[in-house]
Amino acid sequence: MAREYADKGFASVFVYTREAHPGEHFPAHASPEQKLAHARSFAERFGIERPILVDDLAGTGHRLYGLLPNMTYLVSRAGSVLFRADWTDAPTIRAALDYVAAARARRRAGMRLKPFYAASVGFRWSDPAKFQEGLHLAGPQAVDDFARAMERWSSGTPLKGALPIDEG
Amino acid sequence: MAGDGSNAGDGYNYTTFVGDDDFLAFRSALPVGSKAPDFPVVVAATGEQARLSDFWRDADLLIEFGSLT
Repeated sequence: MAREYADKGFASVFVYTREAHPGEHFPAHASPEQKLAHARSFAERFGIERPILVDDLAGTGHRLYGLLPNMTYLVSRAGSVLFRADWTDAPTIRAALDYVAAARARRRAGMRLKPFYAASVGFRWSDPAKFQEGLHLAGPQAVDDFARAMERWSSGTPLKGALPIDEG
Repeated sequence: MAGDGSNAGDGYNYTTFVGDDDFLAFRSALPVGSKAPDFPVVVAATGEQARLSDFWRDADLLIEFGSLT
């Protein structure tokens, strides 16, 4: 997708944060060098072509943008936030990029466009089996920790901000 | 590596996933239309120091945050 949209004026980067699910194979970062090594392993293992930008050990950038484990932002070349989502989902991103590209095209065609605030609910693909694969990659501890979190979420301590909207 | 290279000491690099991420707070932080914060980064492929804004100077920039795990 990054390649496809590069031709439409969009660049793409991945900001490497703390380990969301630390485990025996990929533990919590204890040094900048370790964090950089994990980022390089990530690029190699998943064939990431986008630039991977490593945040500092204290998570300075991660904190500035909201501290969630898998956020996406679209920032204009003027440095303004155009789109943000608390989870990364390819179809949702594609819709956002297409919308911005179309607006730019309408402007180039001479249409007067005034920005306004809009928000929407996203619907992301959820694949528990694939998610478990990722946890196993991190190590047995990550699998166990997540199982405990699932128990907590389902027994009266739900995830803060989980959207109740479910249209089946 | 960017920054002071020290661990934050506030649990940022937690060793155990608890699942207390605050998706509610995210909704009001840094809304669309805000100026995007800039911060120092290290380019993983080269080890070079850069700033996030270096990447949005010439194009709109899609930024995904995450980790291997």
